[in-house]
Amino acid sequence: MSLRVFPVAARDFVGLAVLGTIALTTGVLTNKFRTRPLPLVYATKASRLEQAVARVAASPLPAAPPTETAVLAPPPASLAPAPVDGPALAVPTSPAANVYEIELPEFQQRLAEPGAVLVDARPEIFHRFGHIPGALALPRDEFEVYYPKHRAKLEPYKNQEILVYCQGSSCEDSHLVASALTKLGYTRLAVFVGGWNAWTQQGLPQEK
Amino acid sequence: MSAILRKRWLFLILRAALGAVFIWAGVLKFQAPQAFADSIATFRLLPAQLINLLALGLPPFEIAIGLLCVFGFPRRLGTFCALVLCAVFASALASAFLRGIEVDCGCFGSGGSSFSKMWLSLGRALGLGAVATVLYRFELRSTAENT
Repeated sequence: MSLRVFPVAARDFVGLAVLGTIALTTGVLTNKFRTRPLPLVYATKASRLEQAVARVAASPLPAAPPTETAVLAPPPASLAPAPVDGPALAVPTSPAANVYEIELPEFQQRLAEPGAVLVDARPEIFHRFGHIPGALALPRDEFEVYYPKHRAKLEPYKNQEILVYCQGSSCEDSHLVASALTKLGYTRLAVFVGGWNAWTQQGLPQEK
Repeated sequence: MSAILRKRWLFLILRAALGAVFIWAGVLKFQAPQAFADSIATFRLLPAQLINLLALGLPPFEIAIGLLCVFGFPRRLGTFCALVLCAVFASALASAFLRGIEVDCGCFGSGGSSFSKMWLSLGRALGLGAVATVLYRFELRSTAENT
């Protein structure tokens, strides 16, 4: 039997190559009809975000919004922070020291302060399924679409602290979005390292 | 005779299940090619010129493999391709372990990168590969008996 297996397997390899070529052609052709086609050469998340920031920075400012939209609602009382033991946990992560990491107790404390601004850097679909109450959706992969929507709300906070989170400690979206915001002139970005995973593990309130 | 028939039914069910898994994985990736390209990039195995091509080509390939497994025509091709693909996935994950880098498998949509998830993905690739191997051997034997 083994003598007959090799020609059969060789034919299967040819079949695999043919199927692979047809699949690649199909994939490239269907890409042309996507609303946001994938470019043929890969660009990293950071470089895509940099390009988006450059386009956002170059775009004209929108018309002045009504004044009340610039003020964010304070977070609900149920978000009162857990007592924090010891000193603050802020760790500077950028040379300019305007992007720094915070852990859950400190995050809760800052979130409870009046006028706290919170940004959700996860993909929009995750934000829709559930997010930390009061968070604005600013997905890393759609920064260019969502930043102009929140521009009027965010710009008054250029010199105040903005809290940013993503899925958890292994995701990089919160750091990337925080870094993008610094390029747009925001000066204090606190990245909540534990993110959505740490928040939900504690059974803290969610908003949909 | 009934034992052989039972065995045939078992193989048919296994092949359909394997096909369903591949179709599901392919559809999830097809819906979010950029996220899949980002997952491929975390492996640091391919140059930038090939990452997006793979992200565009692999999902239709997986869907096609799944359909071939479900319908069983052309004979053996679906299980053979599934076997090769599982071997490639497992090798890529093993190489990431050896290099000590955390990767996002991206096998069933983007799920973040962590070593615990990588172990799960490696186990899944090996398990599916084992199923594909058993099915392919069975189909090879059937081919040999019929010729």
